[in-house]
Amino acid sequence: MGLFADLRDSISAVTAKLFAGESEDPKRIGIYGPPNAGKTTLANRIARDWTGDAVGPESHIPHETRRARRKENVEIERDGHTVSIDIVDTPGVTTKVDYEEFLDHDMEKDEAVRRSREATEGVAEAMHWLREDVDGVIYVLDSTTDPFTQVNTMLIGIIESRDLPVLILANKTDLEDSNVQRIRNAFPQHETIELSALEGENMDEVYDRIAEKFG
Amino acid sequence: MPHQCTNCGHTFADGSKEMLSGCPECGGNKFQFHPGEIPDDAPDDGTEEPPERPDTGVPSAVGKAAATVRDFVRDDSAPTPPPDDAPPSDEATPRDDATTQGGDAPETGGASSTGSRASDDADGHDSADETAADADADVEDTAQASARSEMVTDDDLPERPPSEGRVVKEPDADADEPDMAALREELNEQFESIKVLAPGQYELNLMELYDREEYIIALQENGRYVIEVPETFAGSDRREE
Repeated sequence: MGLFADLRDSISAVTAKLFAGESEDPKRIGIYGPPNAGKTTLANRIARDWTGDAVGPESHIPHETRRARRKENVEIERDGHTVSIDIVDTPGVTTKVDYEEFLDHDMEKDEAVRRSREATEGVAEAMHWLREDVDGVIYVLDSTTDPFTQVNTMLIGIIESRDLPVLILANKTDLEDSNVQRIRNAFPQHETIELSALEGENMDEVYDRIAEKFG
Repeated sequence: MPHQCTNCGHTFADGSKEMLSGCPECGGNKFQFHPGEIPDDAPDDGTEEPPERPDTGVPSAVGKAAATVRDFVRDDSAPTPPPDDAPPSDEATPRDDATTQGGDAPETGGASSTGSRASDDADGHDSADETAADADADVEDTAQASARSEMVTDDDLPERPPSEGRVVKEPDADADEPDMAALREELNEQFESIKVLAPGQYELNLMELYDREEYIIALQENGRYVIEVPETFAGSDRREE
């Protein structure tokens, strides 16, 4: 009988360890932002740099990412220690989705409508994730566009209201009309890091900040 | 003497009719009321009340009518005179009618029905009248008392209907605004998290999507959603089953 008691104790000890371990699981970092800000490019850059795999296909067509895609256990090494995060690439958040914008990209109407519907579902999913499943946010903005938009203001507001740690990335610095200062001015309360996810520019600083913020 | 011309200082007995046609001395029509004896020198303070009385003439008329009514009551005379005297007051102004009737009707009723009631009333008024010893002062006091009651009832009578009217109206007006606000809130609440404008065209209410517990996982073109019901809901459903 003592054997059973020991066995039970050891099982409960293991279970306790498991649950304790769960709280130290990698933090789930959501990559959020408007469509075509370069979220998937960044997610792929991070995933390739640290795991060798990609997260998903990148595209110039908006709403290429219509389902949140997760890359788990991305271990980022900084200054000798490792920060483990789950990266969630989310569909671009917007308040309007119209299939007609896809028609310009050589798409049949049926396909455009389907894509539009999926994108809408993706936004709903992204918003739902933001509510429940995200421990921190990397907010990606296209530095060639005006950051003062309803979507950006609303999302940053939600993130702030949840007290989530957030990094703002001013992406596409490789483009001529990139204006990082405009983004810094828009969200002075948050740290803004410039980068080109496509070219891999300034990624070292991005990883430093990720490790600091979410480690 | 309670009344004094503010211009020349001429004094009048309380309730004096002389004042009604202006000061006989100087023709002034502003008078100052002094409750007690006043010196011959006329201090020019407290000019608020005198202007009203002679200017309007109505309160004095009311006071007169009320005083005469009161006198009849006081004398325990036949019940007929008060109604006879009331009409003159009616003639004066409709306002007077309401006030004199409102203020004195119970008393006249008491006088006509039983002497004891009348005496009770008289006692009550005597106590009020004690401040002035003269018969003139007595009359004046009743005038004052009725003037006071007149002011109250006057305020009440004209104000109440309008105020009630306002009360009726204002809630409507107020109710309209809250209703609109409530309606807006309701509409906002009801505003779908995803509005299907046309197949492939959607408007998204991000805050609503963020706030709602259930999770929309699929859209259908008939405007329906496939949603994932939170576990808590499912749990309660099971309990219900």
